Amino acid sequence: MHEFSLAQEVCRLAEEVLEREQGVAVRGIGVAVGPEAGVELESFRFCLEALLLDPPFTGARAELLPAPGDTLRLTFVEVDDGRPDH
Amino acid sequence: MAVRIIELRERVMARNDQLAADVRQVLTDAEVTAFNLVSSPGAGKTALLERTLETLGEELDIAVVTGDVQTQNDADRLARRTDRLVQAVVTGGACHLDASQITEAVKAIDLDHTRLLFIENVGNLVCPAAWDLGEAAKIVVFSVTEGEDKPLKYPAVFSRSRYAVLNKVDLLPHLEFDVPTAIANAHRVNPELRFFLTSAVTGEGLAEWFDFLRSQVRPAAIW
Repeated sequence: MHEFSLAQEVCRLAEEVLEREQGVAVRGIGVAVGPEAGVELESFRFCLEALLLDPPFTGARAELLPAPGDTLRLTFVEVDDGRPDH
Repeated sequence: MAVRIIELRERVMARNDQLAADVRQVLTDAEVTAFNLVSSPGAGKTALLERTLETLGEELDIAVVTGDVQTQNDADRLARRTDRLVQAVVTGGACHLDASQITEAVKAIDLDHTRLLFIENVGNLVCPAAWDLGEAAKIVVFSVTEGEDKPLKYPAVFSRSRYAVLNKVDLLPHLEFDVPTAIANAHRVNPELRFFLTSAVTGEGLAEWFDFLRSQVRPAAIW
């Protein structure tokens, strides 16, 4: 179940991005996962979705994207800046 | 609400890998050879370490970091054979050690008087494969009671290890385990993998293992 540790690290990285971008909430994250990354996709998704229930992620969606080799990267974070739509 | 998409290429393992690189630098500077022992539960990591400490503990100035999850059992067994034991802080249920735990553990070791460091990982053939701990090499331990196809079932740990110990060979007469098939399977995953065939119970094969370890450490200082 190292997928949980990986999901925690993804959330930590996403929180860093949120802080850097001065947003108020994360609405979505994308993670690229290769077939040799040693990640069981459904388990990883389950862990991510569990962690994304809590602030600052409330309601955030997790998108797992195919990638080559042992890739394991955070590829995007959707940051809500809390301001009304322009 | 204005939602912006921030594009990134951030490696999820980046923080662990940086900590591991720092540990590796500290160990390299101190000329300490570190091996990360990985195996499934019950393959004989602790027994192999017990025999190794008995014979080489003082000769090679061996220190050990152990990461048993729920009990003190492994630490207690090893503590009977060495006073150079550090327990990694492992939270209940953790399935692997990570580099931050090793960073802390290494601080508790007298590196000037250590030439060989064993990190006994949590018994698990899946999760520890992904975490670099700053070791010189991973050594995968598996046993003849486990099936020749273990390397094919758990390719990540076999492909990321440089050495393999096939343990419990004293039991071969009672099993249908075929050693050449097991080694061939491992070499399909990792052609470079060097094998040691051992029995931590009878001592078979340990002389070669000990000579290998002797060849991996810096010369002893004359105190």
